[in-house]
Amino acid sequence: MEAALLASGSARLQSAVPGVCRAEDCCLGIDEAGRGPVLGPMVYGICFCPISKREQLAQLKVADSKTLTEDEREKLFTKLNDANDFVGWALRILSPNEISTGMQQRSKYNLNTMSHDTAIGLIQYALDSGVQLKEVYVDTVGPAEKYQAKLKELFPELEITVKAKADSLFPIVSAASICAKVARDRSVKSWTFIENLGDVNVDYGSGYPNDPKTKEWLSSNVDPVFGYPQFVRFSWSTAQVILDSKAVPVHWEDDGKDGDKKDTPSVLSFFEKKTVDPKLQSHRYFTERKLVSIANL
Amino acid sequence: MAASGSVPHVRVDLSSLSNAPKEKLHLLPVRIECDGAAKVSQYFTPSIRREDESGGVTSSFRGRCLHGLDLDVPEGYIGMVLKEEAKPCAEDEERVVRVKSTFSALTCWNLETPPRPDDSAVKAMNWPTVAEAVHAPV
Repeated sequence: MEAALLASGSARLQSAVPGVCRAEDCCLGIDEAGRGPVLGPMVYGICFCPISKREQLAQLKVADSKTLTEDEREKLFTKLNDANDFVGWALRILSPNEISTGMQQRSKYNLNTMSHDTAIGLIQYALDSGVQLKEVYVDTVGPAEKYQAKLKELFPELEITVKAKADSLFPIVSAASICAKVARDRSVKSWTFIENLGDVNVDYGSGYPNDPKTKEWLSSNVDPVFGYPQFVRFSWSTAQVILDSKAVPVHWEDDGKDGDKKDTPSVLSFFEKKTVDPKLQSHRYFTERKLVSIANL
Repeated sequence: MAASGSVPHVRVDLSSLSNAPKEKLHLLPVRIECDGAAKVSQYFTPSIRREDESGGVTSSFRGRCLHGLDLDVPEGYIGMVLKEEAKPCAEDEERVVRVKSTFSALTCWNLETPPRPDDSAVKAMNWPTVAEAVHAPV
């Protein structure tokens, strides 16, 4: 798990599928970690076990990862791994760069849709690996009813429960949330920058926008041209606001297309005297290729 | 193209050519309000990923996805980055530009889609062929 987590890219990690999960009816829980932070990846986790072993899973004392300390989560993750005769898990890591570029795409790929697609991919992974899935429990992202309907349409053969706070209601979701949170924490703690930043300051805190360390790191590590390394989610307003004040402005070809009418020329401009003699204007062949004679720099 | 009498000439200081270093060049689909050095080798170069089949490359700038294509400077030509050290005092004075660096290839980047044959930078590379034909003695 470690090696793959250290990589900055997106990845899927998984345990071996316990034999009993291929033979018996199973339940599966889904949860995410790292939705809010401005730094690092978002991690989606699934955990599954036979329905008959549900009590055994509860005996591991898994609880909602948010109510646990980092130490307790690590210990529970070890316990889950030790229970590999009946518990399996899989993680999908969405890199911060994948989140930034997705959300800032021309046709916006919002975080909720990204989350839904990732969850769907993980359910499909479990099915493809031969897990005898019957029940699926999901901590909701966005309105629960809509999300549930979406999943039911894709997986009509499964019994799907989408609920807010599912991570504190169903042990299998708690287990998934522990896997996801442990992976997220490890990834942020030991982040390997793909950039050649030399001795970069790694005192960036938890990555949450309200963490003073994270804020401080964001404002003191701006490159005027590139902004930030890919560790930062550029699509977060926390990052955008700092870039607006500390980095040089950049203009994209699709800027201002969202209802912004700045490009429309003023009516008056049609009556202005043209200063350039059209006869001296470059032929279309050259303007189309952005070629200019050096004499006209 | 045609310089009228009132436009001062621009002279390329060719003595600067021999000392000019060869550099990797990236043409980004974004206007950056900055004229000067940038930490390309620290931030940008390491983020470039080579796609397997097409020969294309991908990267990102400020959290936006870029697709790139390597373009060779046409055979028999060299690419030059020119810099004007000092603006002339008077409008009609001759302007001098120095060769800052040279390049034999550049990576042309597009926002979210790979560069196509009808993109301006890709098309610009066929001018030398056309120029040769246009200027050839009849």
